[in-house]
Amino acid sequence: MSDRAENLILALPGLLLLAVAFFVPIAQMLLLSVQGEEGLTLANFTRFLGDPYYLGVLWRTVRLSLLITAICALIGFPLAYIMARIGPRMRLWLIVLVILPLMTSVVVRTFGWMVLLGRSGLVPDILRSLGLAGRNFSIMQTESAIVIGMVQVLLPFMTLSILGVVSRIDTRLEEAARTMGCGFGATLRTVVLPLALPGIVAGSLLCFTLSASSFVTPNLLGGSRIQVLAASIYRSVTQTLDWPFAAAQAVILFVGVLLILVPYARLGGGTR
Amino acid sequence: MADVRLHQIKKSFGSVEVLHGISLDIASGEFISLLGASGCGKTTLLRIVAGLEGATEGRVELGGQDVTGLPPEKRDIAMMFQSYALLPHLSVGENVRFPLRMRGIGTKAEQRERVAEALETVQLGHLAERKISQLSGGQQQRIALARAIVSKPKVLLLDEPLSNLDARLREDMQVELIEIHRRLGLTTIFVTHDQEEALSLSDRIVLLNKGKVEQEGAPDEIYSNPATPFASSFLGASNLLPATVRHSGGTAIAELEDGQTIALPADTAEGACTLALRQEDITLSDEGDARLTAEVATRVYLGARSRYILRLAGQELRVLTGTTPTHEVGSRVGLEFDPDRIRILPPETDKTSKDT
Ligand SMILES: Nc1ncnc2c1ncn2[C@@H]1O[C@H](COP(=O)(O)OP(=O)(O)OP(=O)(O)O)[C@@H](O)[C@H]1O
Ligand SMILES: [Mg+2]
Repeated sequence: MSDRAENLILALPGLLLLAVAFFVPIAQMLLLSVQGEEGLTLANFTRFLGDPYYLGVLWRTVRLSLLITAICALIGFPLAYIMARIGPRMRLWLIVLVILPLMTSVVVRTFGWMVLLGRSGLVPDILRSLGLAGRNFSIMQTESAIVIGMVQVLLPFMTLSILGVVSRIDTRLEEAARTMGCGFGATLRTVVLPLALPGIVAGSLLCFTLSASSFVTPNLLGGSRIQVLAASIYRSVTQTLDWPFAAAQAVILFVGVLLILVPYARLGGGTR
Repeated sequence: MADVRLHQIKKSFGSVEVLHGISLDIASGEFISLLGASGCGKTTLLRIVAGLEGATEGRVELGGQDVTGLPPEKRDIAMMFQSYALLPHLSVGENVRFPLRMRGIGTKAEQRERVAEALETVQLGHLAERKISQLSGGQQQRIALARAIVSKPKVLLLDEPLSNLDARLREDMQVELIEIHRRLGLTTIFVTHDQEEALSLSDRIVLLNKGKVEQEGAPDEIYSNPATPFASSFLGASNLLPATVRHSGGTAIAELEDGQTIALPADTAEGACTLALRQEDITLSDEGDARLTAEVATRVYLGARSRYILRLAGQELRVLTGTTPTHEVGSRVGLEFDPDRIRILPPETDKTSKDT
């Protein structure tokens, strides 16, 4: 048997599972999105793309997701580097610390943020007593609240993705850079960062996808005024019961995410 | 003026002390070899000079300036790592240019020129555009060497730079190293466990044994006058035989552990000692009337010559001879040598030291 055929047979169960669990639902969603009263129609798409409100929702979703991803990368890279270079005992503790939030439900954590960020919550209280905020100041129901909550939810994914790559970087490369005139910062920039890029790209892909499709945290922290696409889909499904329109929104989300991900994933793959 | 001065360097990892107080003065432009068995602390000492490792005790001076607390990037050195440490995300040319770029040496055009020159020196000018992962081990080693010399540092640190090359290339590179050193006059510390390399390249050899300087001196001096059994066995692959010297009737006799005796010059001091005899100084004869005999344990054919491993008084003895006549494994052979070629050294204190 040739290698190719053998590989194919070995991969077959996985491919079948993928087809059933992944492609069938997407095909169904695509189908649903073009179903109208009489036959196929693109009305659901034109309705979405022609309405400034929905375009605003789409733009907010993309913008917040990019911002959340960027902040996760900015915190995750140094965190992962510290975790990789610290002793094995401390590393274990830090990993536990990073993963621990994943063990409580997103809903519970989000309620926690609601308590902290609400009008009489800890954070606005402190800001008020420092004189940095007015009397009616609240972070709840703002985009900032969404960003804060989502960064906390997604940081572990970013950190662990980068950690996997950084801990495989030979420390002697950094030492060599030091003997060639790089200070600590320059070594991070010229050696560690480029070599960690695949991890950063992988983590960013994860963060971006998860944040673009997340629903609970943005909905609870942003309130009904600040809608993201996932929440809007939820509303179409549960409140207006307009399933084809919900499907059309889902397709737009799906395509939008793909359009951003594919070139970006190339970037990560190309450096290897 | 001393360019590198190490003063009583001690280094411990945890509770284990691996360097026990090493002092060394290296003159400007000197080519010095750190020679020693695996694990004796050569790399550690080099890392301390580079600033990658802090000494537990002691002081490092470069060019008359105390640099003990200075980080590596502030020292005017270049180091070639035993593992090469080439940067995998940069091309060969970019790797070699890296130290120039980071230290801000020269304009872009000058940098390009120096990179080309360094690559030419290691005979790899045609590979500048390659990725590191597309190079063989030996090529990577030469790129690492090019990267170390390109910035013409005050002190060049080389950690076994030629260990991975085939015999021919190795000789080429040795000649190249001598050339580079003559041309640039860089103070060079060269780490090796190959005594021949140390002998042929260096102005001075520092022989390390278990974190201490065993002996230092010019190659011919250290080769012909090893001070200790370890030095003797490490340089020139000498055979060491424990013996006891007695005087009887105006002559000195060394008695081996199995009772055989060897006549020594009359002025040899009495007592326990170690006899050192180079493997090329011994010739073999048929057992016959020889005064000293040994049993052939192994014969290794080396092309132009043969190496015999003999058993004598519980010791292994290596002898390098011509290919004829051959002696069968298991037979007894007689040993002939000029008594003046025997060196009498203090008794061996630590038997394991020569096996490492
Ligand atoms: N980071 C470290 N932690 C603990 N022990 C170490 C460390 N680095 C080196 N050692 C120990 O120090 C001793 C000297 O090591 P070093 O690497 O200097 O040897 P070397 O002479 O360069 O050997 P080789 O010829 O094999 O490269 C060894 O016994 C080694 O186990
Ligand atoms: Mg070493």
